[in-house]
Amino acid sequence: MAEEITETQFISLPPSRKADWTKAIKAKIYPLKPGPVLIDSADWQLGYREIKRLKSILENSGLRLICLNSDLPETLVSASALGIQTHLNITNTINSSMQNTPKTINERNSQKIFFQKGTLRSGETLEVQGDVLLLGDVNPGAHISASGHVMVWGRLRGVAHAGKEGNKQATITALQLRPLQLRISEVIARGPEEKPEEGLAEEASLEKGIIVIKPASIRAFADE
Amino acid sequence: MATNTRIILICSGKGGVGKTTLTANLGIALAREGTKTVVLDADFGLRNLDLLLGLENRIIYTAQEVLEETCRLDQALVKHKQEPNLALLPAGNPRMLDWLKPDDMQRIVKMLENDFEYVLIDCPAGVEEGFKNAVSATKEAIVVTNPEVSAVRDADRVIGLLNTNGVKPVQLVLNRVRPKMIANQEMLSVEDVTDILALPLLGLVLEDEEVIVSTNRGEPLTLSNVNSPASICYSNIAKRLKGEDIPLIDPAKSGSSLKNKFMRLMQTKIF
Repeated sequence: MAEEITETQFISLPPSRKADWTKAIKAKIYPLKPGPVLIDSADWQLGYREIKRLKSILENSGLRLICLNSDLPETLVSASALGIQTHLNITNTINSSMQNTPKTINERNSQKIFFQKGTLRSGETLEVQGDVLLLGDVNPGAHISASGHVMVWGRLRGVAHAGKEGNKQATITALQLRPLQLRISEVIARGPEEKPEEGLAEEASLEKGIIVIKPASIRAFADE
Repeated sequence: MATNTRIILICSGKGGVGKTTLTANLGIALAREGTKTVVLDADFGLRNLDLLLGLENRIIYTAQEVLEETCRLDQALVKHKQEPNLALLPAGNPRMLDWLKPDDMQRIVKMLENDFEYVLIDCPAGVEEGFKNAVSATKEAIVVTNPEVSAVRDADRVIGLLNTNGVKPVQLVLNRVRPKMIANQEMLSVEDVTDILALPLLGLVLEDEEVIVSTNRGEPLTLSNVNSPASICYSNIAKRLKGEDIPLIDPAKSGSSLKNKFMRLMQTKIF
């Protein structure tokens, strides 16, 4: 059986993003035929809005963004939120993080951030040494734990344990924090009964020995 | 030919949600569409697919004899009396569980692949040996669940296991949906379930007392009572499985008014 294959076109963006990045993109896509396209955004740090904009620029030329490659987890997180398939350029990341270590999130504890894509389903556990960033949901009955921070880019509805080796500064952050149970260090709390507001990322941390939930702040990821 | 055979595992994790009923009805519905279909009972411990299909008294050999090579495959296959396109490969006796290995399941399915377009495997409940054996032999899967927290939780577990075993695609059938209870917020809604399981919905099956009647009679609903609500749902699932684009029913609208019931009948009576 011969299947019709539309060839995926590939665009590689120049390293480092300029102020007027839309022009650079438009110049790149000008010669392309309509169809699926894969973009390597190198070390461009793109937010949710910018990727949305990028997508609409492509769509105006009849191009469909099927996958975004990037050196930066931040860009991938934003892209995933838009339902775009993503791929982390691993070799580049290692190089860049070696060259400019101060950029990494946890350089002070010299902890690694563990990046995992996919949903944790009931009965599955993810245990990480260091910080964990999960792109996906933690379903009821699943268990995610880390010796550092737990970050869930998705809905947290299972059990999360941050700072499982005693780090009281560890936090648990999720786009939708609706856990069965939260644990930070040795403190255990049941999840809130009421449903949280939609679209509001929340963060749980230890304050005076009690786990409190607040709207998430970017600052939380920077080092204390 | 053999490579195009679709091998579909019908599983749920939790027992009693309607795996066997779905297998039987889907088998009949596919056969009626002219597709050569075989249903394989992988529930060796508690077999009852033969009962549902009304073929219990016709079984001579089982999968056990086929594996022991004391009979040929075509001797063990039980052809359905009314739908000649459908065959059943019955489960052997429960002691098979002691020695059955994933390899054996794969061997059986390989044999069936040559003669059929669809192989439906009725999976046992649970996630132990029986499930693992069945998973090893399948390509794709249908997960059946009910709108209940326990059934959804078990389905979630099973989907995780299917994913790690590389079974693809995995689709969802939501069984025993009661529109009235959903409307009164007494039952998990379709969205509540798909929200957690995050699977493409292959179909909904409405709660229908006729299912019990037909089960006891050994005549799947899709065979005897084509116009009952559940029967229509089963046939639609079979058609979607074959790639036809049939819209899902909206539980908020279905089953409530006589007019809607009538409209559904009109839509499905296509000859």
